[in-house]
Amino acid sequence: MKLSVMFDGIWKNNGVFKQVLGTCPTLAVTTSVKNGLGMGLATTFVLICSNIVVSLIKNIVPSKVRIPVYIVVIASFVTIVDLMMNAYLHDLHKILGLFIPLIVVNCIILGRAEGFASKNGVADSLLDGIGIGLGFTLALSILGGVREILGNGSILGFNLFGSSFSPAIAMIMPPGAFIGLGFIMFVISYFEKRKRG
Amino acid sequence: MKNNLSMIYILAIITAIAALLLSITYNGTKDKIEEAYRQELIKALNVVLPEHDNHPDKEDINIDGKSVYIAKKGGKLVGVAFKSTSSKGYSGDIDILVGIDLNGKVYGVEILKHAETPGLGSKIETDSFKRSFKGLGKEDKIAVKKDGGVIDQFSGATISPRAVCEAVNNALKFYSEVVVKNPQLIGGVK
Repeated sequence: MKLSVMFDGIWKNNGVFKQVLGTCPTLAVTTSVKNGLGMGLATTFVLICSNIVVSLIKNIVPSKVRIPVYIVVIASFVTIVDLMMNAYLHDLHKILGLFIPLIVVNCIILGRAEGFASKNGVADSLLDGIGIGLGFTLALSILGGVREILGNGSILGFNLFGSSFSPAIAMIMPPGAFIGLGFIMFVISYFEKRKRG
Repeated sequence: MKNNLSMIYILAIITAIAALLLSITYNGTKDKIEEAYRQELIKALNVVLPEHDNHPDKEDINIDGKSVYIAKKGGKLVGVAFKSTSSKGYSGDIDILVGIDLNGKVYGVEILKHAETPGLGSKIETDSFKRSFKGLGKEDKIAVKKDGGVIDQFSGATISPRAVCEAVNNALKFYSEVVVKNPQLIGGVK
């Protein structure tokens, strides 16, 4: 059991900024910090559960049917999250409801099942799930924050600039997601290149 | 051959376990979800109807396939509410709940379901927008200002408020053409 597995997942192997996986939900839901956070945490939950289960059953699943098995495992957890959220976090579900089923096709989750959990022990897979999940949540919150500040002039629903500020509406529309993600990745790689010299 | 069969068994067993887990979760959350939707309706009804002391969500009558919720105070009718839909939203239908008082004026509007652009069209959910319909009747021009009406549109989003206006107009039309002629309500509304 290595804690470094978890920290690698948060930043060094960040699913969105470094591996550029799961961009569909990333681009779709990040119109505000709250949405990004909610989607990130829901994905983290599914990721942790599916990593644990895939790691547990890795020795009994024949390799030829492993992908359908992973998808069944992931889809089941997503449906459970969907129902639970609808029952207990009804208001959040109203916002994210459309996107929850999309977690099934988030390739970060299938990628971690195939690339990590099916080759490693339960404890490491759990840590990997937490790390990658938190990394995903972090990425969605950053992108959501940038878009909410520029496109709506607020952060977490709290108005920043007063009523005279006229926001760049394009930032909370779909093109803003691409522009925002592109610039964030540019800034990250710029500083990392400079650090390396 | 043996390997091929085990493939089938294992896939079948795993899907069966998944199905079992899902049915347990579904049964566990079913009532809670229904209750959440009911609470949502009650909350919306309390906003759009004048002060009442009955349970409008339980006292609904079916008129032309529409549930009309009836608000009473001390046994006397004070208003009705029903759902109205516009398909002219920016993305998908907009479902609203409209409450109408005995003078045939809008008492309140609540957005039940929409898929408008977050941060733009979704501003139809703000209280100040919903309040701007209060007191309007079928003789008022319910339309966005761009179309010569009395409702404020938002910068960058005209389509969504326009769709809500359409839904409110539909509701008033339904009220004056169908609801007031309903025998169960005659005498109470004009």
